[in-house]
Amino acid sequence: MAKTAQEKLDAKAEKEYYKKHKRAYKLTPGDIVFNILNYTFFIVFTLCCLFPFYYLFINTISSNDLVQKGLINFVPRGINFDNYISLLKADEVGQAFLISFGRTLLGTALMVAASAFVGYVVTKQEMWHRKFWYRFLVITMYFNAGTIPWFLNMSMLGLTNNFMAYIIPGIVAPYNIILVKTYIESIPGELEESAFIDGAGYWKIFREIILPLCKPILATIAIFGAVGHWNSFTDSLILMQGAPELHTLQHKLYTYLNTSSNLSALMNPGASASALEGMMQSALNAKVIKYTISMVSIIPILMVYPFMQRYFEKGIMLGAVKG
Amino acid sequence: MKNMTGKERIANYMYFVVRIATLLSVVMVFFPAFNPGKISGLINKNMSLFTTAIAYDSLVENCVRAFDKGWVSETSFIILFVSCMLLVIGIVGAVAMACMSLGNNKFKKFGNWFGFAGALLQIGGLVGIYVAYTQMAATDRPEKVEPAFATAIWMAYMVLAAIILILLIAIQILLPKVEKSEKFEMLSKYKLFLMFMPFAALTFVFSYLPLYGWRYAFYDYKAGGTLSADNFVGFKWFTMLFESEATRGDIVRVLRNTLAMSGLGIGTSWCAMAFAIFLNEIKSVRVKRFVQTFTTIPNFISWVLVYAIAFSIFSTDGFISNLLVNAGVWESGVNMLMGDDHIWLKMLAWGMWKGIGWSAIIYIAGISGIDQQLYEAATVDGAGRFQKMWHITVPGLTPTYMVLLLMSVAGILSNGMDQYLVFANPTNTHVIEVLDLYVYKLGIEGGSIPLSTMVGMVKSVVSVVLLFGANTISKVVRGESIV
Repeated sequence: MAKTAQEKLDAKAEKEYYKKHKRAYKLTPGDIVFNILNYTFFIVFTLCCLFPFYYLFINTISSNDLVQKGLINFVPRGINFDNYISLLKADEVGQAFLISFGRTLLGTALMVAASAFVGYVVTKQEMWHRKFWYRFLVITMYFNAGTIPWFLNMSMLGLTNNFMAYIIPGIVAPYNIILVKTYIESIPGELEESAFIDGAGYWKIFREIILPLCKPILATIAIFGAVGHWNSFTDSLILMQGAPELHTLQHKLYTYLNTSSNLSALMNPGASASALEGMMQSALNAKVIKYTISMVSIIPILMVYPFMQRYFEKGIMLGAVKG
Repeated sequence: MKNMTGKERIANYMYFVVRIATLLSVVMVFFPAFNPGKISGLINKNMSLFTTAIAYDSLVENCVRAFDKGWVSETSFIILFVSCMLLVIGIVGAVAMACMSLGNNKFKKFGNWFGFAGALLQIGGLVGIYVAYTQMAATDRPEKVEPAFATAIWMAYMVLAAIILILLIAIQILLPKVEKSEKFEMLSKYKLFLMFMPFAALTFVFSYLPLYGWRYAFYDYKAGGTLSADNFVGFKWFTMLFESEATRGDIVRVLRNTLAMSGLGIGTSWCAMAFAIFLNEIKSVRVKRFVQTFTTIPNFISWVLVYAIAFSIFSTDGFISNLLVNAGVWESGVNMLMGDDHIWLKMLAWGMWKGIGWSAIIYIAGISGIDQQLYEAATVDGAGRFQKMWHITVPGLTPTYMVLLLMSVAGILSNGMDQYLVFANPTNTHVIEVLDLYVYKLGIEGGSIPLSTMVGMVKSVVSVVLLFGANTISKVVRGESIV
């Protein structure tokens, strides 16, 4: 970022000020101890957040023999990407990846489009019973019929074992609508008025004026929506019981994690040596498979993460302004 | 529309009736109880007219044997399917008419054609359903096919279609002739409403309609069965929650887990604020950014992935076991995810690992909003680092904290099930099972739909009451509402 002349001047003045008052800013021993502890805490905590991802990653790209022996802990050895290649070749995982990807893409696109449009419509004071309909929408954030009625409702609508069950219920997202509405209300009304006088209809105004201006907020909700879709797993678990081919990647991962934990639970001392060995083999292969699927599920998130960061504060602060 | 003629006025009243009839038929389309296409015991009882009309596969899912043995011909089912589809298309036509009836006369007259066509399609569909029924009734194995004609429902649809048809004819006559030059026009308030309507419908279907499922809590319902006066049990399940020894034990245990874990979460919610305040004490911008960037990542991965990570670190052949076994401390790996010791604290720790960086962001933003002059004044007055934190930063963040605290108190019963579902295993299930997870296990895995619905219902009601209680407190204390 280029500094403006004013900023440069400010920085200079600040430096001089520090020089002048050096004594007042000298760190006391207490400060030093505090700083050391503070830095240590945050760096250790950050490493705790970071290390597991790194650990998973090096285990998936190292030679599987070494992984089996538990020797890959800090540095990767025998780097290869065979696990990823063979995993994506496996039909089941590839399919789950496509399902997750498809729902993320389609679900997010529809949700963003609907939020933008509804957000625009509810800013219009002249809408028939606007207040009532807006409340009708917003109040749904605060109550919830419960898991079972929701499930029964979805099966009544034929949305069990059906890909559309991932998409349709998520189209109307009241919270995102509120965000868009608040954002549109902050846009000066003159722009719209002049277009209205020129004879443009609602649809045209929405498309040509509002939509381009709303890009930042739409990007925000798109990114959060996409992460939500990618991570969501209970809907797959509850609604897709009869359709394993529609399970999302997260659901598949959950299934695999459970299978292999059962496998390791099976390894009791009573079993014969050869059978035990065989099971160990499969359990340990299962471990690498699990790690690899986990990485495949994490990587897309890590890829959009840098873009997301720009929108964190915007998203959170807008959320604080409701109504 | 001030200068309406008398005829137009009458037409408008008629439209009112027509719109209500249309709305009624639309609602009926989605309720299994109002499905005129349920003409045989072979058809799933939980199918609404809508599903009957769009999903042929689920319509005939129980009919394979019946088709094989020739009890019933597949043609009858195809007739049924097509008739239902016609009926639904007819209702869609009626909806189009009802929408256009909000416009000017030209719009109305144009829309009426959709109404006519729709009503005729509806009547045709209903006749088709009757034909399919007569074919099915002619079976030689009535005890297997169980032909049953829902006369009342069929008549209801017929009457609605007839009302629409007759009134529309009357309206079409009453409305004045429109000039060729007249344009399609509609008042903007109705235009906007029609733009909004599809989304209102979606909201209704996915957020309000599930509430209708609460009725299951008052019946002795088994999956695949029906609700009728025979199995209505009133508040039996509700009293069972308190009277049955086993259920009461479960509820007490589950509530204890829920409240304990939510309570721990609420009790430590100030940690996010402390995190932000101490992070703010780090003067190096680069370190601060680094910490903020990487402590936020865990918030964006799902609980399944958190469990995958826990697995890779703490399981029998995970990171810790590897290290300790290689160092010779342990003889063999230990699966630290098994066992029930300190589960509540472990869950709290995972929750913090995942969420603290993210929760801190709102406080970090809050700190940057505090007036810098306050700090400068305090420095001049000789306040130390901790005094400034305690007397300026903390009070500055307290309002935000209170809002979030009240929200989390309102959500004390809803700690979600993802986290506990993935971390649950046979050795810890008695201390990890929270209310949401209990409802899931009871209803979806165990199949006791009425009881689990009842539990979920009580939970929902209590949550709403808590939320409004918290809101009232906030209004009284801060003069601002939180919802």
